[in-house]
Amino acid sequence: MGSIKTPGPDILRGTLDLLILQALSWGPAHGYAVARWIEQATSDALAVGEGTLYPALHRLEERKWISATWGASENNRQAKFYSLTKVGRSRLEVEADNWRRYAAAVFAALKAPALR
Amino acid sequence: MARGRFRRLFGPDPPSDVDAELRFHLEMRIRELVAEGETPERARELALQRFGDYDEPRSECLAINERRRRRMTRTEYVSELRQDIGYALRTLRRTPGFTAVAVITLALGIGANSAIFSVVQGVLLESLPYRSADRLYQPRMLYPDGTLYTALSAPDFMSVRDGNRVFDRVEAYSTGVFTLLGAGEPQEVRGANVTEGLFELLGIPLAIGRGFDAGEHRPGLGSVSVLDYGFWQRAFGGRSDVLGRKVSVGGDPYTIVGVLAHDARLPDTADMYAPLEYGETFSATTATSRRSEYLDVIGRAREGVTEAQVMDDLRRLGTQLQTDFPDTNGRLTFAATSLRDLIVGDVRSPLLMLLGAVGLVLLVACANVANLLLARGSARHGELAVRVAMGAGRGRLLRQLLTESVVLALVGGIAGLLIAYWATGALVAARPADIPRLDQVGLNSTVVLFTLGISLLTGLAFGLLPALQATSGRLIGALREGGRGGGQGRGAHRVRSVLVVAEMALSVILLMGAGLLIRSFVQMTRVAPGFVAEQAMTFRVTLQGDEYTNAQKIQNRVLQFEERLRVLPGVTAVAATTVLPLSGQGSILDFLVVGAPPPPPDINREIAVASITPQYFAAIGASLRSGRVFTEHDRTGAPRVVVVNEAAVRRWFPDGDPVGEQVETGGNRFEVVGVVADVRQRHAGEPVAPQMFVPYAQRTTRAVKFVVRSGSDPIGLAPAVRSEIRQLDPNLAVTDFKALDQLVAGSVARPRFYTALLALFAGVALALAATGIFGVMSYAVAQRSREISIRMALGARAGQVLQMIVGRAVGLATVGTAIGIAGAVALGRLIRTQLYGVGVLDPLTLGVVIVVLIGSAAAASFLPARRAAGLDPANALRDS
Repeated sequence: MGSIKTPGPDILRGTLDLLILQALSWGPAHGYAVARWIEQATSDALAVGEGTLYPALHRLEERKWISATWGASENNRQAKFYSLTKVGRSRLEVEADNWRRYAAAVFAALKAPALR
Repeated sequence: MARGRFRRLFGPDPPSDVDAELRFHLEMRIRELVAEGETPERARELALQRFGDYDEPRSECLAINERRRRRMTRTEYVSELRQDIGYALRTLRRTPGFTAVAVITLALGIGANSAIFSVVQGVLLESLPYRSADRLYQPRMLYPDGTLYTALSAPDFMSVRDGNRVFDRVEAYSTGVFTLLGAGEPQEVRGANVTEGLFELLGIPLAIGRGFDAGEHRPGLGSVSVLDYGFWQRAFGGRSDVLGRKVSVGGDPYTIVGVLAHDARLPDTADMYAPLEYGETFSATTATSRRSEYLDVIGRAREGVTEAQVMDDLRRLGTQLQTDFPDTNGRLTFAATSLRDLIVGDVRSPLLMLLGAVGLVLLVACANVANLLLARGSARHGELAVRVAMGAGRGRLLRQLLTESVVLALVGGIAGLLIAYWATGALVAARPADIPRLDQVGLNSTVVLFTLGISLLTGLAFGLLPALQATSGRLIGALREGGRGGGQGRGAHRVRSVLVVAEMALSVILLMGAGLLIRSFVQMTRVAPGFVAEQAMTFRVTLQGDEYTNAQKIQNRVLQFEERLRVLPGVTAVAATTVLPLSGQGSILDFLVVGAPPPPPDINREIAVASITPQYFAAIGASLRSGRVFTEHDRTGAPRVVVVNEAAVRRWFPDGDPVGEQVETGGNRFEVVGVVADVRQRHAGEPVAPQMFVPYAQRTTRAVKFVVRSGSDPIGLAPAVRSEIRQLDPNLAVTDFKALDQLVAGSVARPRFYTALLALFAGVALALAATGIFGVMSYAVAQRSREISIRMALGARAGQVLQMIVGRAVGLATVGTAIGIAGAVALGRLIRTQLYGVGVLDPLTLGVVIVVLIGSAAAASFLPARRAAGLDPANALRDS
């Protein structure tokens, strides 16, 4: 991960929210871990201006989809850990489902034969 | 960083939180890059690059956090408030005795305030029902002796109308009582002659018909009339075909052309209105009739003109008339009274005095409840200590305690509204002697808002001190002391003593006020009215109809009535008059002593005139000072004679007995044949004005009042009187049967009303203050029971203990009384205008107040003192 990639396409805000929720679905994580997970899971295709991750996190926290506590990080530093709330978890299911249907539709469309 | 977290205990610190979070991200990234082999500098550069803009996300995060924090504080505050209110209600329910006493105390205080405020609001604060009411003034004549005449003469009115620079409209009216014929039974009506623009100036609309044309004011036309709405309903049944109807008013024919709108009225009420005749004296340039004042004038100041400017301009005009008409206006000038002052002027200061008084009552109530709270505070010490131990801060406890007192005050306020509702109804129903605009009074939204407002303030006022006291000092210590709970110490006790002293002082102020008013009232009723009110009665007859076509026939019938009534059992004297005592002055004429050097034309020469039959003075019990009363020989055609009162003698015959002198009045010459003692004309508190009496046979009127003096129960004669009169003429209306002493009662009704209210308030305050001292002394005895027991064990006698406790109460009361007297003196000028015949420092009142107050303090402390004296020394010693 030494090189810098050209930033990928801007992530739509809704997509970023979905990815954050997904990232937290395996357990509490701090912002940097979320960023790292997105980076790896998407092969860095969505390389962010990483700063934009934080307003998204705070907004989700405001909506009570995720909650935050301060705790010690793996290297024993104080970090803000986010975790999914109940609302957040059910939100994730709905959003993921939506996304799957949306992607399937777009994918199907791309494979569809030409207009006749 | 770590320290940053701990700071959260004192509230969140969003900027440092956000920075920490973002910086953590960057540091992690740098660490990783370094681990992958980058140099630290390069790693930092790359990390920043990857992160992108730093400030934008940071400020966005801060904005989100701030929004969140605000919402949370709000919900937190609301939920805490709800908690506090719930807690307060539970606490109040747990101590029903305390709650009941506090609520009743507060309800009395707040209710009295609401009731008096509703009167003040309706009478004083609501605007007058006139267009541009705040700009309306009544120009008046200011005589050199300082008397302010309500009326202007026609030429002076025209001078004001034409010569002023401050009014955009000046209108006038004059009122009188006339006999109305042609509308059912003959009746007396109040009539007003008005200038053409008066209704428009006041913004009084017509219900039906039309007003007056400018042309209808020419003299000799006098033929159209507009009715007052209420009179239209009463006399004409509200029928609209009244328009065009012809009636006779005061002997002149009138055609009814309109009816004023419902509730519309002049500052002086009238039943019928007619155009004022503009005779030749309606001229700003004439010198004649300038001293014949009969017009009430109303001027509307231009927009933006102040009262001072109005006064200045009228003075300027007065000065100019002094030069232009030195003979008539040489020493006179004009002044102005705002219409509002004119209408509510003489009730303003008593009403404000009453408002001040109820304010003081509320303060006493506050002090009392504060005292109760302080006493309870000691009992709650343990509970509060537990809350502190559980982490409640002082601010939080204060807020909870204040919430409790505000809840208490609001409950008291709601109960107070009920009291006010009832009290206002009672006040208005009492119709205290024509306090103007009382029909406007009621519990409206303003009054309710006022009540809630003062309830809130009250809650804070009485709650603050006890709350501060309860949350101060060593609450935790109290917890450690365990159930003893009495750790309130001398501080709280001193506060309670101060409160009691304040209550006493406030009560003294109220008692002084009430005492002075009572003294004034007694003085006023004790003032010799100039007649004997007991054992006499009066009634009214208006001799109208076919039988009474001329003065002779009327006189004969009056004579017959007198003869018939005179032989009724027990009757000692019967007479007729046109004007009863204490019922106003009646007709006013100018008075001149023949042969005396002509008086300067600009001095007040007015005298009130009454026609009487020979036995009048005997009937009312007025005493003749010199000369003779009238006889049956003083009849029509006989030489004109007059009896004057002592006030007239003082003004026009300062050198001595006027009997035998010739006087001139109303264009006739009279010989003075007697002098009679002064009889009060308007009300008891007013100096008597010059009055002259002429024989009824020489000045006959249709409307007469009879006075019948009898052995006892004068009013019991009424049926017999009525039947005698019926026998002579069954068509006559015999009305207004009244004992003569009812006239006296009526003339002091207003002062009686104010006095009764103030006395009531003072009584409430005294009762509260006595309760307060009772509470404090009971508490002191409870606190000091050990000490007292030890004293008694050491040989103190019960009497000494009693003396000690009562002495302490009396000491507090003495301090309170001293402060209160100082306060009463300071506030004395507020009440001075209400006083009659007593000074603000009336020694009798002062003495009674001191005795009453210190006496009540001693009495209130007697019970606790006796309890102290009855303590068994052994008990207290065993307790320890």
